[in-house]
Amino acid sequence: MNVRYLAGRDPAELLDPAAPFWKDSRPEPLRLVGTPSSLQPTAAVRAAWPDARIGAIGAVTVDAVHDGTQLAFRLEWEDPSEDRAIGDTTVFPDAAAVLLPSVPGAPVITMGAPGVAVNAWYWRADEERAGRQVVAEGLGTTRTVDHELVRTHATWKEGRWQVVIARALRVDSKEPVAQLRAGESTGYAVAVWEGSRGERAGIKSYSGNWRELVLAPVA
Amino acid sequence: MVMDLNKCIGCQTCTMACKRLWTRDEGMEYMWWNTVNTMPGRGTPRDWEQMGGGFADGQPRPGRLPTRRDFGEAWDFNHDEVFFGGQGDKVHLQVKGEAPDWGPNWDEDQGAGEYPNAYYFYLPRICNHCTHPACLEACPRQAIVKREEDGIVLIDEDRCRGYRFCMEACPYKKIYFNHQKKVSQKCIFCFPRIDQGVATACARQCPGRVRFVGYRDDQSAPIWKLVDQWKVALPLHPEFGTEPNVFYVPPIAPPRLDADGNVDESKPRIPDEYLVSLFGPDVLRALEVLKGEMAKTRAGGRSELMDLLIGHKWKDMFGGFDRDPASIEWEKGA
Repeated sequence: MNVRYLAGRDPAELLDPAAPFWKDSRPEPLRLVGTPSSLQPTAAVRAAWPDARIGAIGAVTVDAVHDGTQLAFRLEWEDPSEDRAIGDTTVFPDAAAVLLPSVPGAPVITMGAPGVAVNAWYWRADEERAGRQVVAEGLGTTRTVDHELVRTHATWKEGRWQVVIARALRVDSKEPVAQLRAGESTGYAVAVWEGSRGERAGIKSYSGNWRELVLAPVA
Repeated sequence: MVMDLNKCIGCQTCTMACKRLWTRDEGMEYMWWNTVNTMPGRGTPRDWEQMGGGFADGQPRPGRLPTRRDFGEAWDFNHDEVFFGGQGDKVHLQVKGEAPDWGPNWDEDQGAGEYPNAYYFYLPRICNHCTHPACLEACPRQAIVKREEDGIVLIDEDRCRGYRFCMEACPYKKIYFNHQKKVSQKCIFCFPRIDQGVATACARQCPGRVRFVGYRDDQSAPIWKLVDQWKVALPLHPEFGTEPNVFYVPPIAPPRLDADGNVDESKPRIPDEYLVSLFGPDVLRALEVLKGEMAKTRAGGRSELMDLLIGHKWKDMFGGFDRDPASIEWEKGA
């Protein structure tokens, strides 16, 4: 996917899923599949979640722009139920994330490996606009490293989520997070959790192995 | 911990001791890390015994999540109106908002049997701090730890992301979800007290001297004596496969009465099969031992077991965790 360069955008505009500039682009459609039951980290989760139950959301479209400083992903997918709040102990919110390698060659399927981190920019419907910057070095090792740098804005209407997840290309962090530069390429992957089906943690749909993300140079 | 069900009067002092100490923050309103239910009954959360979880043949058995209504929402009363609104003679104390349809120590208060042979007993429950904790083993984030030194099972709220796999997996349904902090929470066996040599609040506050505290393998302390030596204290639902570390001395009800009102010792008031369904087949032997020792004392003899269960000296029930909490300078928030 090519990430267009847009000069001098207001941060609020970049976060707006309805901003006019998104209309000029051709978002990339991605097929999503459920994560394999056999790779879930605990026997209890594997027993409760056979493959057939995992992966409620089968498709998402992805688009991205940057302004030389900020990179914004726009995800859109069909979801008849808007699951925003955890209203009861049995209720789970919708969520989505973009995964980037912190280190080239980090594996997607195992969410990184020791010493080879991956970096998720994560949105959850009950957490308003504060996204989470998550680092993982293997299944079950995710940790939120900050609550401020990743910003999100989500709209649900007519049975579709439109979610923008943005972060600065480069961030001041001691953690193994992705550091990006205009004019360079990296990989990306997408995951979506369907709250109404109880999807959370490793129970999600994902886009498979890394796909190419080419950041246009600053013109 | 051992709880002697023959001494529990269902007063809920343990419940309130725990509530006041640990679950007063926002998001914890509906939590009762300690509950006392009337048995037979549907319990708290209602019908928890049918919710699955734990292990069958060593493999995890899928469980379901209780809802907040199953636990019982926190009831909010019109205290202000009645006590401070100057209307005490006009309004009566009532629940504010929607009438609750279920609550611990309320709708669950059931029992069984027919007059004059009705029966019931109280069952206090906390987290069982299991040897084989289904919660810990279910968590995909290793957010639950079992302390090496004493086996207390704790949820690390910094690691927890509120996924609730632990709630599904716990067959005793003793994990709560905090809707404010969005993390799971449960009985911590008063570990900050234990670390200072102080028994749990539920044990110290119990007016009935129901609860014994201590290390299972301390042969000079009551837990080993009751569980391993006398074998009169048994885990609840051992078939759940988690090896609880809370044990119960099973209840012996008063004798049955026949149609003429005479004592009928031919069968027990609480059916054996019901107690077997709760504590496993070993409960029958435990009941025999208890009855035998009771008979001994009734005949004027001495019984080491009865002396132990009576708890003549309160502090002897705490396996060395007998320090007075008032003698300690507690750090706030620590």
